Amino acid sequence: MTFEIGVLTFAEVTRDIVTGTLPSPHQRVRDTIELARVADQAGLDLFGVGEHHRSDFVGSAPSILLAAAAEATEQIRLTSAVTVLSSEDPVRVWEQYATIDLISGGRAEIIAGRGSYTESFPLFGYDLRDYADLFREKLDLLLRIRESNPVTWEGRFRAPLVEADVAPRANGDQIPIWVAVGGTPASAVNAGRLGLPMALALLLGPLTTHTETVELYRQAATAAGHDPGALPIGINTHGYVGRTSQHARETMYPYFAQGMVENHHQRGQGVIMSRAAFEAQARPASSLLVGSSQEVIDKLIAYHQHYGIGRAMIQTGFGGLPQKEHLETIERLGTEVAPVVRREVAALAASAA
Amino acid sequence: MTTVPDFPGGGGALRVVVVNGSPHRPSTTMGLVDVILDTLAGLQPIDTARVDVYGLGAAFTGALAREDIVAHARGIEEVLRQVENADLLIAAAPVYRGSYPGMFKHFFDLIDQYALANKPVLLAATGGGEHHALVLEHAMRPLFAFFQALTVPVAIFASAGAFDGTVLLDPRVHARIETALNDVVDLLRLRYAPRDISSEAR
Repeated sequence: MTFEIGVLTFAEVTRDIVTGTLPSPHQRVRDTIELARVADQAGLDLFGVGEHHRSDFVGSAPSILLAAAAEATEQIRLTSAVTVLSSEDPVRVWEQYATIDLISGGRAEIIAGRGSYTESFPLFGYDLRDYADLFREKLDLLLRIRESNPVTWEGRFRAPLVEADVAPRANGDQIPIWVAVGGTPASAVNAGRLGLPMALALLLGPLTTHTETVELYRQAATAAGHDPGALPIGINTHGYVGRTSQHARETMYPYFAQGMVENHHQRGQGVIMSRAAFEAQARPASSLLVGSSQEVIDKLIAYHQHYGIGRAMIQTGFGGLPQKEHLETIERLGTEVAPVVRREVAALAASAA
Repeated sequence: MTTVPDFPGGGGALRVVVVNGSPHRPSTTMGLVDVILDTLAGLQPIDTARVDVYGLGAAFTGALAREDIVAHARGIEEVLRQVENADLLIAAAPVYRGSYPGMFKHFFDLIDQYALANKPVLLAATGGGEHHALVLEHAMRPLFAFFQALTVPVAIFASAGAFDGTVLLDPRVHARIETALNDVVDLLRLRYAPRDISSEAR
């Protein structure tokens, strides 16, 4: 078994908590492409950009950032993390990612998700009450387009397609399509039934949080006639690789805590994560991939052994981590962590065979 | 010995009445009940009726006592009687502010104090997360304990993550429904089984 390691960014535009300066959108776009270039040079397998339609992110059009990243890189695969498919036109999504695939010589990938942020729904004229139906229908169309051209298809949320020519085809005809699951049991069941690879967001809490989610995914896949052993599972988590355990925690904590304010509300207000809560997440039995290279290696292998995952995508810059620290952690991840994890996972597979 | 129980409703079909405490249509609460009814129908012939407490209108919401209903709202009175005469009642509600919604309680406030005594009642609830699950035991079951109803031991909870839209996907909830309904069918077969004369002779 191979093990893929990548980084993902939401391309945040966040005020620096030390200097107080707000970077320009131009700067953050250039930063994002630089992250891709350094991740490629460091030998990482994947670079992902998230989709957010707000002024505190520049990643509202990840396909365009990935197209630019394609020109700045040579080997690394380029993925959305995620494409908020519910508020997209699958025809357009296919056209964009097939084009990235042609630009990059077959390195494009789509991770389709329902989106945890909901700003895109009113922007594109969709009703949040259709949240589940939108995703189901649009994923169905995207898969049909991938399967064959021309395509004939009919649904509720867009005009029907009759022998429609959706062009171009991807470089090697196909593009990998993963489904992002946030831990919702029903989402895991749906992904399993469709026999699609699952990108599991595992943000905080015990490393084993999604044990049942993965079981449900594999059971649903088996029940639908898919071979669960052949279906890849990946995790998306936050993390930071430092020079030492202490350096990693000291560097990551203030930015991560600040970033979490947006995502952790109590009584209608954002709450800063305490250092004690952060330290609890950094423990070996918890999910956060923070620490020295060796700590992160150990935790990735623990993830692999617990869930059978073959991929980890790490969000390394959440909360406005400065670019310098961000590039350094990507370099450590690519040069110190990834080679060891790939080698050890291969050795585990060989000893099991 | 296998016999088809003869329910008081006649025709061998069990009269099942659902009291729906959700204001939404469609709703996850009714998505859960749909699976319960489909599963039950596979075990036992049933006739089903459903009361949407949020759809009963001003004559219901404005009623302070059963007498108001009897005097001014015959249609609502029939609905209340249908519930009181059910062979099996399914009480299903979403969690609102830590309990069942007020309109759901208002409906049962109008039910006769002893009309549900010894009546099999299956409890079902939905909530935003798993932390609401004990609403079944801490809010719904005590309500039916007041009525001296015979609540089914296994109550059924499903949180938002178990659904795709309003379609119940989580197989663990499906399994719990099977367990609960097997108990219900055992209970009803015992209750309505023809008497075994050989045991009475002893």
